[in-house]
Amino acid sequence: MNFKRTARLFAVVGVLAIVATACGGDEGGGASPTGGAVAKGGTYRTAIEDFGFTNAFDPTGEYLGTAWGLYSDLILRNLVTYKHIDGVPGDEIVPDIAESWETSADGLTWTFHLKSGVQFGPPLSRDVTSADIAYAFQRINTKSLIAQYGNYYAGVIEGLTGDAKSPSTPISGISTPDASTIVFTLTKPTGDLLYRFAMPATAPVPEEVGKCFTKAGDYGRFVISSGPYMIKGQDALDTSSCDAMEPFSGYDPDKFMVFVRNPNYDAATDSPDVRSANLDGVVITIDTNTDDIFNRIQSGELDGSWASLPPKTLEQQYLTNPDLTDNFHINGGDRTWYITMNLLVPPFDDVHVRKAVNFVIDKVALQKVWGGPPHGEIATMPEPPEVLPETAQLDPYPSPNHEGDVAAAQDEMKQSKYDSDGDGQCDADVCNNVLLVNRNSTPHVDMSPILSENLAQIGINVKIRELDTGTAYTTIQTADNLIGIASNAGWGKDYADPYGFDFFIFHSAGIACSGQVNYSELGMSRAQAAECGPKVLAAWNAATDNGKTPLPSVDKKMDECYTLTGDERSNCWVELDTFLMEEAVPWVPYLWATVFTVTGDSVTHWEFDQFSGALSWAHIAVNNGIDPNSVPVG
Amino acid sequence: MGRYIVRRLVWVVFVLLVITFISYMIFFVMPSKDPAIIFAGRQPTPELVAEVRHQFGLDHAWPVQYALFVKRIFLGDQYGWPGLGFSFNTRSALKPIILSRLLVTIQLALGAAVVWLLIGIPIGILSALKPRSVFDRVAMGFALFGVSAPVFFIGPLFLYIFWFKLGVAPGSGYYSIGQYGLGTWFSHFIMPWIVLALLFAAFYARMTRANLIETMGQDYIRTARAKGLSERRVVLKHGLRASLTPVVTMFGLDLGGLLGGAFITETVFNIPGIGAYAIKSVGSGDLYAILDITIIAGFFITFMNLVVDVLYAFLDPRVRYA
Repeated sequence: MNFKRTARLFAVVGVLAIVATACGGDEGGGASPTGGAVAKGGTYRTAIEDFGFTNAFDPTGEYLGTAWGLYSDLILRNLVTYKHIDGVPGDEIVPDIAESWETSADGLTWTFHLKSGVQFGPPLSRDVTSADIAYAFQRINTKSLIAQYGNYYAGVIEGLTGDAKSPSTPISGISTPDASTIVFTLTKPTGDLLYRFAMPATAPVPEEVGKCFTKAGDYGRFVISSGPYMIKGQDALDTSSCDAMEPFSGYDPDKFMVFVRNPNYDAATDSPDVRSANLDGVVITIDTNTDDIFNRIQSGELDGSWASLPPKTLEQQYLTNPDLTDNFHINGGDRTWYITMNLLVPPFDDVHVRKAVNFVIDKVALQKVWGGPPHGEIATMPEPPEVLPETAQLDPYPSPNHEGDVAAAQDEMKQSKYDSDGDGQCDADVCNNVLLVNRNSTPHVDMSPILSENLAQIGINVKIRELDTGTAYTTIQTADNLIGIASNAGWGKDYADPYGFDFFIFHSAGIACSGQVNYSELGMSRAQAAECGPKVLAAWNAATDNGKTPLPSVDKKMDECYTLTGDERSNCWVELDTFLMEEAVPWVPYLWATVFTVTGDSVTHWEFDQFSGALSWAHIAVNNGIDPNSVPVG
Repeated sequence: MGRYIVRRLVWVVFVLLVITFISYMIFFVMPSKDPAIIFAGRQPTPELVAEVRHQFGLDHAWPVQYALFVKRIFLGDQYGWPGLGFSFNTRSALKPIILSRLLVTIQLALGAAVVWLLIGIPIGILSALKPRSVFDRVAMGFALFGVSAPVFFIGPLFLYIFWFKLGVAPGSGYYSIGQYGLGTWFSHFIMPWIVLALLFAAFYARMTRANLIETMGQDYIRTARAKGLSERRVVLKHGLRASLTPVVTMFGLDLGGLLGGAFITETVFNIPGIGAYAIKSVGSGDLYAILDITIIAGFFITFMNLVVDVLYAFLDPRVRYA
């Protein structure tokens, strides 16, 4: 481990320590509460209000972090993977199906050699080959299968464009010289390629089953396991024809998921550091009543939560009762909550106004309405600490105790074109009735008066529109709505390289007339503006003085960082993020969110999976001795 | 009588067509956005939108689209009869999901209906027969509590006290008779039935009491007593029959409404019925599921109205000649 790496580790450990101290509780993960050896067996029984899958659990397109945990920890193995543990060590890439790999000098050819003995579960019961991995990429390349993060491969691997009509279409940049070798030819060196190959969409798919499911999501009830567990009922799959295949009995999208051990899994092909596979199974049921989920955990009917937020009263119990602290786990969620400002919309088209907003926001007050430090550390930069630890301590807009610095904000406002008399207050008409989009649910609604009061201190008078979560997102995702400022949004990483956090949200490729995620229109070109209609084009012309002063952009810098590796790469991202917050200033980041998990007394070993942002199915252990097949699922 | 029933059936079919038409207009014609995009779920890619457009025939004029829509519902679609379509969110045919959930809701609604009738009507009768007595006051106090206590409050309260604290009742969830046996099924339904029934029982008690008090003051009751009929016969044969007709109307509508989904009870007690599915579908934007549930709820209310009308005709012969 070099110095830089060590520094990263210490930085994050520091951040986590602050969170842990603040909440009076938890751990970085890994320690067994009992202190003894971890026993194998038993079933982790949990419940969730709704699975919320974005692509019906088909790994080719599924874009939900908690689903990624089920794949990576339980049922799918990739060329490379993670250790499925907490913090920065949990973001390190380790071999999985790949025994070894080598890269050509120009970084364009990557050759992976596969381990022998990795098998698909029954009824296939055959070795995983390089062709199965190539087939997974062919599915990503198939337009109708809607690979929701296919951009990490399209244009990166030669011949992979995302436009193929059928998953049987080979990709010119992927070859399989033999069953245990796969070679990728890239169009450009890609410094974070291994992270991309650890994503579930790239896990092997057996063509004999996959070919039967050519519409997005359809494969979700037929996911063939290559990992230590499989969906219950997989072994009963009739593979004699596509018509004969019935969904696995262990997954009802509406009611439950049951995972049992895959009898073909050979632990010798895996590492206990990656998957301890302590459990005999996992049973997840749908419970529409959140209170009930946590009551059932306390009564011992369930072993713990998964991705549900405990009710406030219960959270207070766990935070204040020393007997319960071992059962309450707080971990970094790799998610930033932020206020976004639109560079096309006055007064936010002036960088001094955007800086003034950054100075004036009372982040401590916002943190309080979220529930205080246990719910997250105050964010000063866009990247969560685990993703880019080097920026975790940077604070371009410091204020005493993060409560906002009105004087510094007014100094910035004085430099803006919207403060004609230099009193530090925006006095232009555009600062009256400024539409601020927010959610209509807690804690967001509780932020509204704080934001309103803070912004009034620099002369910006907002009219707050509180909308349900989906509508709020749709509103700011539609370019011609031209929303100046919004506080409804949060953003999480796709994978632990800054590219997996920054690309969509800050690159101009993230701009679209509808469904965009680059809400601030950072780097928007005239062509993009014109495509979104005359209203957007007029705003773009006004903001850029008809193109004479282009909007700030990080596209070039991102392209530069893209190819780099190691410390050079980290430094490049630090420079990019510094530029973002000091010169482009599209955001006011205010909270790096945490994830809460409650476990019952049956949990003998707790671990958090930093990759998926949820409990680590790969390492958690229980002592309930329950057979997953015997758990009632309704 | 036969003609009367046929007339009512024709009326039911007409009302159902109106319901489908209004639902169709709300979901397909009124939104400013392309309905194909709305129905395609969270990730409306061009391919998916094209699939939806093809499935719904959205490239036709809307009257044709509506005709196809009605045809699918009443004659079935590729997933069977009735034609309930496909969820683009979960990539599943909706018919098996909705029918299995409907079965659960029916169990919840019928069980609760039995409970509220068994509680509400006897209380109402006894209160009416001894107005302003201690029993009447206690009973009406109970009714006031039942009417005032919403399910979202009393449900979690019951769960907390009887399951979590006292452990005398099993917790939430649905356990089918076929898989888990009669005892487990029954024990898990007791609390939802009682909680759901409390509100209705209170209404029924008050309504029965008021109607019976009014009926018992009628001349023909006095005549019946004067003829020397026993009080039991006067009350049960002459008083109750007349006073229960409005209760039958209310019962039909209440049961019909519940069959369309006991939204809060199902959510609180984690019962996978059609109401909980409606809430889940609204949350996940699964519009075809919402459309189906809307139509099913409308169907049950219409159907129960028909049942009430027929029952009325039996209870009161004047109705069938009206």
